[in-house]
Amino acid sequence: MFVDMHVGALTEPLTGRRWEPPEIQRQLLRRLALYRHQGMRAGDRVLFLYGNRLEFFVDLLAVWSLGGCAIPIDIRLTPFEIETLARAARPQFALAVEAIDEALVSRLAALGVKLLEATESALPAEEASSLSGRHPSLDRDALILFTSGTTGQPKGVVHTHRSLRARWVTLRQHLGLKAYRRTLCLLPTHFGHGLICNCLYPWLWGQELFILPPFRADLVMQLGALLDEFEITFMSSVPALWRLALKTARPPRAGTLERVFCGSAPLSAHLWERIQEWTGTRNVFNAYGITETGSWVAGTTMPEFAPADGLIGEPWGALVKILKSRSTDEPPWAVPGCAPNEPGYVWLNTPALMRGYWERDDLTRQVVSQGWFMTGDIGLIDDRGWLYLRGREREEINKGGMKIYPGDIDAVVERFTATIDVCCFGYDDPLYGQNVGLAVVLSDSRRETLRRLYYWLKQHLADHQMPVRWYLLEAIPRTSRGKINRAQVADMCARLKPVDVHHLFSEKQ
Amino acid sequence: MNRAAHKAKLIQFLQTIRRPDRPLDITDEHQGLITSGLIDSLAVLEIVGYLEQEYGIDFSERGIDPGQLNSIAHILDLIERETR
Repeated sequence: MFVDMHVGALTEPLTGRRWEPPEIQRQLLRRLALYRHQGMRAGDRVLFLYGNRLEFFVDLLAVWSLGGCAIPIDIRLTPFEIETLARAARPQFALAVEAIDEALVSRLAALGVKLLEATESALPAEEASSLSGRHPSLDRDALILFTSGTTGQPKGVVHTHRSLRARWVTLRQHLGLKAYRRTLCLLPTHFGHGLICNCLYPWLWGQELFILPPFRADLVMQLGALLDEFEITFMSSVPALWRLALKTARPPRAGTLERVFCGSAPLSAHLWERIQEWTGTRNVFNAYGITETGSWVAGTTMPEFAPADGLIGEPWGALVKILKSRSTDEPPWAVPGCAPNEPGYVWLNTPALMRGYWERDDLTRQVVSQGWFMTGDIGLIDDRGWLYLRGREREEINKGGMKIYPGDIDAVVERFTATIDVCCFGYDDPLYGQNVGLAVVLSDSRRETLRRLYYWLKQHLADHQMPVRWYLLEAIPRTSRGKINRAQVADMCARLKPVDVHHLFSEKQ
Repeated sequence: MNRAAHKAKLIQFLQTIRRPDRPLDITDEHQGLITSGLIDSLAVLEIVGYLEQEYGIDFSERGIDPGQLNSIAHILDLIERETR
């Protein structure tokens, strides 16, 4: 149906809704008629204000069929953050399937964004005549995934149809399709991992996709039953979800699972083995992916392996180099490579590499050199050619698989009137893997000021971005070059007692 | 330990994981913990950890119905069943 790929059926296990390919075709043609009538044209950018529903995937095909570029966003973001993204992306349209916050509607309208509600009643009865001749150009922008900067300067990864197609074709070559025929997705559709690989890879190749709302603990607790009821053969997820499932969900009994991926955060050998035991299959693979490379780019699909800390495995449609430098000033081939088992910076070369960051050539130049992508990860390749990760230099907090950028939180705290200096950081958390810490210097530390800071953060940050541990400091330590070292601040704060944020609110005003 | 004592301990624990600006209504045992916004959905795992640690309840083999953790009353019922 779409660019020579034939989509599979879509099912929402939670609601019981299911669209077979003929219904998907009908929905697609009706959407094409509506969006064309509303003026959507090739080159338009379209904000998706929803995700993880049947309609999302059909809307994606409709936008692509019209030559548009889709921008799925995290619907948990505050109106302030969504407006920040919209200002950066300048979309012509926004799509929603249910009522959205009035304040957000006004903000988008002020930016000239036309809101379209593709509800059943809004869709025209008549369909567009056909899809023929409407395949988008391969080099047209297809997808922008914002990975950070929701409060300041957004960083959006731009993929073209060519780079996405390259990912799906290489995955098919390396992974095949058999194990993916009934794929479950519990990841959000604004994630590269969730959207490009967990969902679109199997679905666009005709496999059935079962889509659940993301980050719902109650659904994870029923994971074993869901896998059995829907005879799921494949799912991908993140370590934090597995920690929850292993504690609260009974194992599947039907034995349908053939392959399981885990990614987006380091997977320990211990957790890996427990997932194997729970799922009843040894085919639990660590999948390594980065949004910039179209997500999954390597994993443990070798015939024989034992779970090991940091083991990634073999590349899927990519060349991997371990170099002694992370600088993009010199071409990668001019930089000395590391010997086997010697750690260095992980660089990737793949046809699925992003076109660049949306209108941020400065950022693109920092990570791309001559078609090679500097991942920011530290790793090594052993004598067998297997990739291992040994650390990450990327500035991000991985809270249960949700990527949080400390700079985004800094930007909000900095704008608070009483802030003198700030540094957010990640700290180890037994539940989420990492959580958000805040070190702040305030002009006054009265309870009322702290309460105002809390409400300020609530107004501007999504729940999962909210700092959990707060530290009031007299000064933020800096390096001799005047820079903040987040790890150093985190170490210092670990020796201090955090502010009792609950206490701020427990004493009645 | 009676239900009142279990409740007192549970409330003490919930006070540490609730959202700071959301007060816990200790008079309403049926207040939905997630639906009222008191805790976020992933924090249910912290309740599971609490039940494991305090009462030795292990859900890993049989799983758990999320409805059993959605209010103080339901959690207390669960504790009573498991510690009987």
